[in-house]
Amino acid sequence: MATVFRPSECTLFLPTGWINPRKFEDALLRCGDALGTSFMNVVVRIATGTKMTIDVILRVLSFCNQVVTMTKRLVLIFEGGHEDTGYLDRMGFFEHLQSSVEVSPRRPIFSRAAIHRGGNATLVEIERFSGTAPADVSLINRLGTAAQRSCATRSDVTQIYNSVSKIFSELINNVSEHSKSPLDGYAALQRYERGNEVRIAVSDSGIGILESLRPALAAKSDPAANLNDIDLLVEMFRKGISRLDDQDRGNGLMVSAHHAIRFKANLDIRLPRQRTLLKPANDQYSQNMAYSTAQLPLLWGTHLSFALKLA
Amino acid sequence: MDDDNGWGRLQGRTVQQRIVSFIEDRPAQQVFKLSMEGVKQIDASFSSEAIVAVLRRYRGTKGICLVDVTDRDILFDLDLAAARAEVPVPVRIDGVIEIVGGHASPGNREALQFALERHQARAAEFAEKAGLSIANASTKFKQLWEQGFLMRNESVADSGGVEFLYQRIG
Repeated sequence: MATVFRPSECTLFLPTGWINPRKFEDALLRCGDALGTSFMNVVVRIATGTKMTIDVILRVLSFCNQVVTMTKRLVLIFEGGHEDTGYLDRMGFFEHLQSSVEVSPRRPIFSRAAIHRGGNATLVEIERFSGTAPADVSLINRLGTAAQRSCATRSDVTQIYNSVSKIFSELINNVSEHSKSPLDGYAALQRYERGNEVRIAVSDSGIGILESLRPALAAKSDPAANLNDIDLLVEMFRKGISRLDDQDRGNGLMVSAHHAIRFKANLDIRLPRQRTLLKPANDQYSQNMAYSTAQLPLLWGTHLSFALKLA
Repeated sequence: MDDDNGWGRLQGRTVQQRIVSFIEDRPAQQVFKLSMEGVKQIDASFSSEAIVAVLRRYRGTKGICLVDVTDRDILFDLDLAAARAEVPVPVRIDGVIEIVGGHASPGNREALQFALERHQARAAEFAEKAGLSIANASTKFKQLWEQGFLMRNESVADSGGVEFLYQRIG
């Protein structure tokens, strides 16, 4: 009988520079299927000078917590030393990172997010919410107020506040409907001055919205059950689709998309094995402007991010 | 509402129960004004439960109109949620009744506009203005009443028979 060499360790390396969702996927592909295969040791190595967009930060956080939840060992290494943990610490990353994740050189002793919470106008600390219970109303108000604070000098601050609050409310409440996971979800927002952009991110560690929706659609003989993944995602955000026979349900993602399109926002959707980027055209998301990659390494959950463009 | 924002289905259902209870306690009252005073924002899920579901429940029997809307942006989510559910929501803004959400069919829009511009409307009046038969005008008004765009009351016609008076809501 032949002996097959199976490496027991894989490394997710995040290189220097800005890491957006596409570059994160490139890194994850090079790493291999850390969650979906028999790797027992996973290393996440963050190069000196790496900067992650807020949606990537939530995906890395979810990835790390999912790895250790599967009883694998995970070591998170900051190549630039303790100095490089500052930004993530300020966002509250380490508050939400499971204690069994090993951090090198070390975890911050005090959380800067806890000390300075709400003190930076352009940054919103990561908020944690239950994957199974409806959203806490105060959480939505906090995120909306943070968006208002970060755009306080703009003339369209009220519209930004309204839209951001409503997007968070619908996305977070959607998690308890679809995640089917007791693991927590995360929400955060950041304004990027140079890109004149506000990025809103919500991540959970559930089964993925398509996995939740498809069996229910098939059970009620809904024609949408026959759509391919991209078409179904587009329809969810364009017209609204519910797993229930109730016209009052299934609005949340559709309305979020309408708010986001007011700001010409790209929508990035990461599901357990695929990623889809929707770009608006003619004030809607459509199949023609959907860019999808399938058969990706496993990352449990539905990870959504809107990149709102500020004029 | 306990808060000046309405977020999510859970909060929406609580408000829905209060509104239904208020209406049920007044069986003789036909038209209700739902004040939005002090409300900063409501999302689509809240709107679906607290407003759209209530209007559907009382469609054709009670009229409910939103009043005291100071910021049109507050109607954005309600409009989308009600449109998807095909429920018309009358809103009084600056003394004028507007319909958000459900849309009248193209063939009934003129009849709806005619009714919204007056306190009450008769099929015969609209038939004369639009050059239609009374039966045709009557069918349009009946459909608008069944779909929740208008209220309807019985009256005695000059001929002695029953005549329906159609009224805007609010």
